[in-house]
Amino acid sequence: MNRFLLLTCLAASLGAQTLDPRTLTLFHQPPDIWPTYNGDYSGRRYRTLDQINQSNVGDLQLDWSFKIEGIPPLRGVGKAVIKSTPLMVNGVLYFTVPDHVFAVDARTHKKLWQFDWQDQGGHLLGQRGVGMYGNWLYFLTPDGWFFSLNAKDGSVRWRKKVADEKLQYFTTMSPLIVKNHVLIGVGGDAMDVRGYLESRDPETGDLEWRWWSEPQKPGDPGADTWPNQAAMDHGGGMTWMPGTYDPELNLLYWGTGNANPVFAGQSRKGANLWTASIVALNPDTGKLVWWFQASPHDTHDWDNVETPVLFDAVIDGKPRKLLAQGARCGWFFVLDRTNGKALVSKPFSGTGNWAKGVDDKGQPIPDPAKEPKVDGSMIDMPAMGATNWQPPSYDPETELFYLNGTEGYGLAYLYDTSNEPEGYGGGGSETFDARSALFALDIRTGNTRWKHEIPHGEGSISGGILTTSGKLLFTGDSSSVAAFDPATGKILWHHRLAAPVSNGPSTWTLDGKQYVIVGAGDTLYAFTLKGAKP
Amino acid sequence: MLAPAQQHDMHTYLGLGSAPDAAAAKLGEPLYKQNCAACHGEDARGAQGPNLVRSTLVLHDEKGHDIGQVVKSGRPEGGMPAFPNLTDQQIYDIAEYLHVQVENAANRGLYNSLYSKQRSQTTGDPTKGRQFFAEHCASCHSATGDLAKIADKFPEAAEMQERFLWPASREPRRATVTTASGQTISGTILKIDDFDVSLRDAAGQMHEWPRDQVEVKLEDKLAGHRALLPVYKDADLHNLTAYLLTLK
Repeated sequence: MNRFLLLTCLAASLGAQTLDPRTLTLFHQPPDIWPTYNGDYSGRRYRTLDQINQSNVGDLQLDWSFKIEGIPPLRGVGKAVIKSTPLMVNGVLYFTVPDHVFAVDARTHKKLWQFDWQDQGGHLLGQRGVGMYGNWLYFLTPDGWFFSLNAKDGSVRWRKKVADEKLQYFTTMSPLIVKNHVLIGVGGDAMDVRGYLESRDPETGDLEWRWWSEPQKPGDPGADTWPNQAAMDHGGGMTWMPGTYDPELNLLYWGTGNANPVFAGQSRKGANLWTASIVALNPDTGKLVWWFQASPHDTHDWDNVETPVLFDAVIDGKPRKLLAQGARCGWFFVLDRTNGKALVSKPFSGTGNWAKGVDDKGQPIPDPAKEPKVDGSMIDMPAMGATNWQPPSYDPETELFYLNGTEGYGLAYLYDTSNEPEGYGGGGSETFDARSALFALDIRTGNTRWKHEIPHGEGSISGGILTTSGKLLFTGDSSSVAAFDPATGKILWHHRLAAPVSNGPSTWTLDGKQYVIVGAGDTLYAFTLKGAKP
Repeated sequence: MLAPAQQHDMHTYLGLGSAPDAAAAKLGEPLYKQNCAACHGEDARGAQGPNLVRSTLVLHDEKGHDIGQVVKSGRPEGGMPAFPNLTDQQIYDIAEYLHVQVENAANRGLYNSLYSKQRSQTTGDPTKGRQFFAEHCASCHSATGDLAKIADKFPEAAEMQERFLWPASREPRRATVTTASGQTISGTILKIDDFDVSLRDAAGQMHEWPRDQVEVKLEDKLAGHRALLPVYKDADLHNLTAYLLTLK
């Protein structure tokens, strides 16, 4: 605790809005801060906070809420939906929706400032939040502008163009700060462009390095997984979710999106590295260290950008540095994060009938018979994926990995049968017999330890997941936020909201009081224990 | 299938800019074929000349302005001749034709109508489909009874296939609730989730209970469809689709 106090004092002495870089750690941070999208570098979304716990969760109640008002409807979307996880630094919350940043005093829940942008294009589907370095915030707009804002008042320090919205790139992610690098990724798979990840200077916004999701030219490593230059140049592999980082190994872990054209694979025969993969990169150089491809030669829009969650555990008597991912392709992977070799590679939704098995690295081997067909090809999981960006969680006490997933069956169609298809080139059906579920997966076997399943029409699990040392798991269930017992899946508490939970819940303490924060639609909600005193 | 309004919404949502001028594009198509297709391909996806659908210049173009400069002066370094005889109007029409090609690739909201021919195809064998129907479906359904002329209602293969796989409109809407005191009430579900259930009974009265205080039995008309999902091979789906499409 002394360390925490010391950090708090240091932060205070550096100025009210400054983020102390020493709070950016793999697993632990002071209780009164949430400094990154995932809360720490690991992506576990587990907090050692137990003021709110199993014995008193029944007394959890709404303390305050903040509704976004006075912004125009978002183009093509309408009402703003909070998908960002608010940063909480020195008593100020920073959160976003597309084109807008809000700073709210966590004590008074009053707005301190607001930043608005008028975009010139790009998708307004989501915005994951801001990144912070010192007293600067970093924000990406739908049309590819990378902003540095003053955390104190939201004023613009500079902006840099980092993606071309006319080529159907768009930018939604929360920038990740690693040492003195700001890491930003891009989205956009409508027009067959190639993915990239950039490191930029936090002071100037200048480019430090760019890693491309495909090899640059024939003969380069990985180029043998593509038929030609044009296929690589238009191969997709978007980097639209924040990655994770291991400071000790100095490795950045990032997920890449589906290959392009999305459903039509005939012009890109081969595994299509490094699309639909987890890649480990050196954050200082952008050099690729290892990769693991979750959906080789993807033809189902299975972005593999779900958080690569880092944790340590003892496996077969040995301490191991691990990385786990619940992938959109419906499989659960547990990898050795030093080298990318799989310890567990197993479907959590369906039987994995789109694959013929796994290769010696543990990567699924896709079955060509299950690629999209003109008259449809059915798989025993949702055609568009079994999970998505909603943040998962790992609880080191239960040693279980939790995710918001879906089961059912789906069809994939091929529409563009030409030799040179473009865009999506096909599509996926609705999910037949869709069942939304909160999954608790065993990290040693990949087996589902427990599952809270909701049949179609009876609501769904919504948003991301948070676990705490109070032996609680928070997530959205239909139009409520709910607390589950992470060991058994029993529901212990719920509170109805005006909309389903739309972001990853987070928690921290302020003045000695623990808060649980969720975004649901256009409103941020803060819960505390009844009678809890600062 | 998406209604025209939703197609427009997808265009707006994707940020595809101003919608291409369809009338101009129609005039531009023969001009494109005559002047450009030999090098850039019949569908503008490239031949010995570059792909124009994925072209950065085309994607940045507004109303033929950037495209017109290249067409008028050519690109001698790349081997492209100038086309001084094309009028501004003709260049605009060609540009709009290209913008329609971009729209057709990028706007997936258009796919259902754009690819209705593909969505109407099936490789299935109706005779084998009839056998599958007799073995797996005929205990509940009849080709001359409830499914007579079903192909008139679902003439598109893809739509038919998705309909028989999972007719979602038949999902549970009715339930019987048994209260703690043992009273049973049946009716139409208004809302149900993990925490609450509400229904309207035959007399039109609304009831609502916390879910954990009652027992809810939902009527399931889709049990047969659910049981078949793991049974189908892709060929069964296509055969069954082909057979049901004969029920006109």
